[in-house]
Amino acid sequence: MPAAIETIQLTKTYKSRSLGLINVVDKLDLTVQEGEIFGFLGPNGAGKTTTIKMLLGIINPSAGEGYVLGKEIGDLNVHKVISYLPERPYYYEYMTGMEILKFYGSLFGIRDEKKFQSLLERVNLAGDASKIIAQYSKGMQQRIGLAQSLINDPKLLFLDEPTAGLDPIAHTEIRDLILQFRNEGRTVFISSHELSEVERICDRVAIINKGVIERQGHLDELLKGARIEIIADDVPKETATKFEGPDTIVSYSSNRLIVDIPEGANVGAVIDELRNAKASIVSVIPRRRRLEDLFVETVGGKNAKKLVVESPEVVA
Amino acid sequence: MWKIRKKLYGVGAVLLIVAATLQMTYIHPKWRKDYSPEAGGLVASQLSPEQILLQLFGFREFLAGILWVRADGFFDAGNYDAILPIIRVCTILDPHNIDIYATGMWHIAYNFTDQEQRSNRRYIPIALALAKDGIKNNPNTYELYFETGWLWYQKIDDNPSEAVKYFQEMVKKKDVLPAREDLLANAYFRDQKIMTGLNWYFHLYKEAIARAKKDTFYANSQIRDTLESNIDNTIIRMIQRGYLAQKRNDGSYEKGDYDTKPPFNVGFSAKVTVVRPRVLRVTGTWNVLPVGCRIRFIVRDLHYPNALPAELDWNKNDNFNFNLPTNLTYMQDQLFCKDQRFDRVENMSKDPTMYPFDSNHYLLEFFYDPAFGAPHIQDKFGWNGVGMTDPNFLNTQIRKGVRVIYATLELSKDQILMRGQWQNRHATVETSNFKESSPTESMTNIVKVPSLRGN
Amino acid sequence: MGAVWNIAATTVGEAIRRRVLLVILMIGVLLLTIIPSLSVLSARSDDSVTVGTMFAVMRGTSALLAIVLTVYMIPNEIERRTIYTILSKPVQRWQFFLGKYLGAVLSLLLMITLMTVFMLVVYAIFQNHHASRLLSLAQQPVMYWIEMSLLAAVAICISTFVTPLINIFLSFGVWLVGTVLNPLYDTIANNSKSIPIMKSISKLIVSLVPNFADYDTKNPLINPGQPIQNQGLYYFTTIFYGVVWIALLLIIGALIFDRREV
Ligand SMILES: Nc1ncnc2c1ncn2[C@@H]1O[C@H](COP(=O)(O)OP(=O)(O)OP(=O)(O)O)[C@@H](O)[C@H]1O
Ligand SMILES: [Mg+2]
Repeated sequence: MPAAIETIQLTKTYKSRSLGLINVVDKLDLTVQEGEIFGFLGPNGAGKTTTIKMLLGIINPSAGEGYVLGKEIGDLNVHKVISYLPERPYYYEYMTGMEILKFYGSLFGIRDEKKFQSLLERVNLAGDASKIIAQYSKGMQQRIGLAQSLINDPKLLFLDEPTAGLDPIAHTEIRDLILQFRNEGRTVFISSHELSEVERICDRVAIINKGVIERQGHLDELLKGARIEIIADDVPKETATKFEGPDTIVSYSSNRLIVDIPEGANVGAVIDELRNAKASIVSVIPRRRRLEDLFVETVGGKNAKKLVVESPEVVA
Repeated sequence: MWKIRKKLYGVGAVLLIVAATLQMTYIHPKWRKDYSPEAGGLVASQLSPEQILLQLFGFREFLAGILWVRADGFFDAGNYDAILPIIRVCTILDPHNIDIYATGMWHIAYNFTDQEQRSNRRYIPIALALAKDGIKNNPNTYELYFETGWLWYQKIDDNPSEAVKYFQEMVKKKDVLPAREDLLANAYFRDQKIMTGLNWYFHLYKEAIARAKKDTFYANSQIRDTLESNIDNTIIRMIQRGYLAQKRNDGSYEKGDYDTKPPFNVGFSAKVTVVRPRVLRVTGTWNVLPVGCRIRFIVRDLHYPNALPAELDWNKNDNFNFNLPTNLTYMQDQLFCKDQRFDRVENMSKDPTMYPFDSNHYLLEFFYDPAFGAPHIQDKFGWNGVGMTDPNFLNTQIRKGVRVIYATLELSKDQILMRGQWQNRHATVETSNFKESSPTESMTNIVKVPSLRGN
Repeated sequence: MGAVWNIAATTVGEAIRRRVLLVILMIGVLLLTIIPSLSVLSARSDDSVTVGTMFAVMRGTSALLAIVLTVYMIPNEIERRTIYTILSKPVQRWQFFLGKYLGAVLSLLLMITLMTVFMLVVYAIFQNHHASRLLSLAQQPVMYWIEMSLLAAVAICISTFVTPLINIFLSFGVWLVGTVLNPLYDTIANNSKSIPIMKSISKLIVSLVPNFADYDTKNPLINPGQPIQNQGLYYFTTIFYGVVWIALLLIIGALIFDRREV
């Protein structure tokens, strides 16, 4: 079975005035299997949207190759069986929900009103079908976007930050919808930095930072191993700095120290050190590793530099 | 993909060539012929940038209307210099607006006057240029032919063949008003084509009868009646003035007793005195007793360019140079004769720009042409002056086929301006036969004007 | 082709709701209705002033509409990201481009028709309601529609590579140049006094810029006089000329748009 998405050294280069040529997406090797929900994670400006646009043929790669459902990117035939929900989408505001579906349906040659009706029901907009988009809330707009993306029964969906800016209830609704997609056998490619969402629904994730894939794999594997969090007050600054290490997350403010170390690391040594410094230990809590930890581990620190490139220019 | 692109470049090139060829070979010439509103050069039109913009976007007629209203305002304010360019621009913008042409040429020819209400005849060529332009742009309506012919006939009052020419064109137009058509006959008479004029009356008369039969509208029968009496009068005049006998050319005129015989001696003499700087008193004798004679009087530079005897070359320029020469002087007026004499003061001191008196020598011309005289005078003098004579100033050269009176005198600049040796003296020039006369002097040798239809 | 028509239809739907366009259209219609009262300017040429000014207003309004409508069309789609959803469907770029253009052409047809109806009604009330006169007046707006379609093609072609604001000036400039081409050509190329190089340059310009003045055929309508021979042929040829130019501009625009990053 071919991979739903495969990229080989996929690269996009933009020219910026201040930094010269920069690889916004840098030699990306990515594999997404059919039927899985794939989380594409990264901080702002990491290159997520750029990657999706390349996969959809909206922009052209500067180098490398990419395949979507076995076809080279840019092949318009693939567009019949995939769909895309852009980040912060916008639809013609004067149209009603129903008209939006009719319009996008017409681009596929689909004119099946019953189908549109059932799609609206599915995203819980049946009652608002004749309202115009301008009167929709953000959540409703996002849901009509999802309905739109289902018109052609896609095998593969690209969802770019589908939950950004929505309230928790809307989050849940959309999460449920996405989980249904998987049950229906569709492949879903979600770009996001809302980690708790991704953690709950994704099978596999890739973490991209500054255009480079830092981690890629099954969530279970990536999150293997629990961690221990130690909190102490009245810690002198010299002591706090002693704990810094490769797999350790340290945060220190107004004499309170939080040290986060992997299970199996020497907890006793940390506690001894704190006692020597006459600090008062508040708590020692063992817990499961979360995606957030992985993300901060991977991206943290490195992100100190400014990521956003100002007034960029295109390099074809 | 590249292959398709390459092909499309080729297709694009072909399309460009097709478009350019169409434009050059067919569309442009056709547009120019049938759709172009252009009458004159835009660039030369003296419009302000925003006006050019307005007119480029097609508001030509609108703009012309606005400007025309402004021109009227200038007229009321007496700002004549501003009017000429506006009139010209209006005609460029809306070359089919006959009102602008007609009113414009009338303004130019009549309303540019000096303080004494003598119109500045040097504007006449401009009015004529406007007329020609208007005719060029509106060749299918009678109106501008009429206006132009009328300008020659009534204002210029000379060169009768010009009026004939325009009236002939006028009567060919479908929209000509019947009441205007008999003007052509009058112009023929002035042009000494008496028989042609009479025949034209007959032609009109036939048409008028037909019209009056078809439509009993009052004006129709009125025109018919007027023509009838005109024909009557003309035939009687032709007989009484000896025209027919003269034409026969077999000596029967010499033998016969006609109203025009013997020729009447008008006894012209004149004296011009400088009474104040630039103010001339013109007096003289003219033996015709009834009123109705007007003698043309001209004061001009002796070497005025293109000047003809007793007139300028009106037809000279076809372009619109609104700047009259500021260093040349030309004044034309009429001397009204009464009690066998004329006596008039020509004051040119109020318009120093119009009468600059820059050059050193000036010619004073006196001119009388019976072809343009009133009918009761013509009853004695005939159409061509056969019944008029003068021992000193009869002239058969300067107007072809007509016996006219023409006399000249000269004055110098210093004399007119009363400068130099003339500082405290009043210069006087007079014809050699000049004799002082006064209104009360005994009236000998009075012209006996025959009345129409016998005594 | 279905996609093209659907995109065109959507474009029309959007265009007729754009407030700027509606305001321009309203001002145009308002001007058209007050024109008869302006023509007191000159009593006899009343009719020619009215007709001339009405057509001028209509042409100016249409040009403004064509430019404002088209210049923002594609940049707006990109800015609001509506284009992404469309291009992620099986829609070719050129189909999208053509659809947008046809939408503009149809919108212009709608707006010009509206203005024409207003104009004819006002004219019939205040000036003359002979059917034949009204019918002959109605020919000019057809030509304006072709002209404005050509202008829209210029604007949409330019919109594939510059920002809307610059495009407004560029398109307007092209229209202006294309409007004065005929007089320019007459004063330079057809003038025996002008120097040969100027003649060649003016010929080149006339070949490289679409000629908009060709569509201004209102003069014989304002000043009816001699009958014009082969009027039909002239209309046909200029319309064909317009279509050729439009095709050319659309090809250029589509080629650029195809390469463009959105
Ligand atoms: N057209 C462009 N020209 C130049 N640089 C660009 C262009 N589009 C995006 N970039 C740059 O590429 C980088 C990646 O952008 P991208 O939109 O892919 O990020 P992202 O991962 O989607 O971020 P976010 O989470 O904020 O949506 C950014 O630094 C951005 O400034
Ligand atoms: Mg993004």
